[in-house]
Amino acid sequence: MRPRGMKTLTSFSITIAILLTALSIYVVEDLPAFGDENSPVNKHVKLFSVDADGMAESLNAGVLPTEIKSRIEKMGFNKEENYPTLEEGNYKIEYIEKGTWLGGRLYTDSGWDVLIHEGEIFYNEPQQYYFIKEMNGNLTVYRYNWPVRVMERTEEETAIINAVGSGLADYRGYDTMGEETVILTGAIGVILLLRRRGRL
Amino acid sequence: MTPERKVYKRDVIIEVTAKLMSPLILLFGLYVMIGTGGTGGGFQGGTILATGFILYITVFGSEKGREKVPESVNAFFKSFGLFLYNGAGWICILFSLAAAQWLNMPAFWPVTDFVGIAGARSFMVAYMISVGIGLTVMASFVSQYFDLAWKEDDEMEGDEG
Repeated sequence: MRPRGMKTLTSFSITIAILLTALSIYVVEDLPAFGDENSPVNKHVKLFSVDADGMAESLNAGVLPTEIKSRIEKMGFNKEENYPTLEEGNYKIEYIEKGTWLGGRLYTDSGWDVLIHEGEIFYNEPQQYYFIKEMNGNLTVYRYNWPVRVMERTEEETAIINAVGSGLADYRGYDTMGEETVILTGAIGVILLLRRRGRL
Repeated sequence: MTPERKVYKRDVIIEVTAKLMSPLILLFGLYVMIGTGGTGGGFQGGTILATGFILYITVFGSEKGREKVPESVNAFFKSFGLFLYNGAGWICILFSLAAAQWLNMPAFWPVTDFVGIAGARSFMVAYMISVGIGLTVMASFVSQYFDLAWKEDDEMEGDEG
């Protein structure tokens, strides 16, 4: 004989589940294709900004101005720290229009991409390392890369001292949610297969 | 269910050691699970918590261990951990009207007023997400251990009969 409270509890939980499913479908429809632009993975890391007197022509010609180069190297991204160098011939500069899809990301501003394709030790292909944007007569220099984001901005953005914890639970939250669901599913499977009835 | 309870030979050293050690193991598991400043996290802390219970069950037997960790508690914690984890993300997504993707919006207003957005994220990760993972892992391991231990008892009884 089934207890009387069972039926109302079951219908209540089914209603909640259906409501949450409809809500999540509604939410997912509103999300942009590759996540929102404000999420940390899709943002650049801002380095500095300088006056843009005549540097735009130099960038269009494919040459990184010496002022930007020296400031980047002064910030610690130089050969002594095992970063790829910005010597002539090592890099390539491309102008990206606003709204382009490139490398799995949507460019929300137009600017110059600095690709490094020689002297990079971790990748074989040219990597997008720096992004330069012109705005109000200023040139602003950004960096991007996933390890850069985790290593340099973790404490400021998440206030967690442990970079592993923020990467596990904050930046890659959906991944960990799936892992935890796998553990719960495994436990349920063991219960279904091995448990003897009447021995709770 | 079992009419004849099997008589175990008691060992003072083992029982006293287990009684002394299991609370300390549980305390250490809590420290590993919640202290995000150091090493560890939810998975590791949950495993250490489970070993504390498993030591107790191994020494004092399944029936006495069942009194300490009943199945209702296991079933509750197993799903409650996942509920905590998903709830942290759902709070952000719902309160920001689907603008947030996971934790990246100042949606948790009671916390953001005091500690700021970054502090609120760290609060969520340390006290909701890690604890959620830890509870699920602990309850799953303990319940699996119980299931395996019961089965062994059954088979031994069958051999005797």
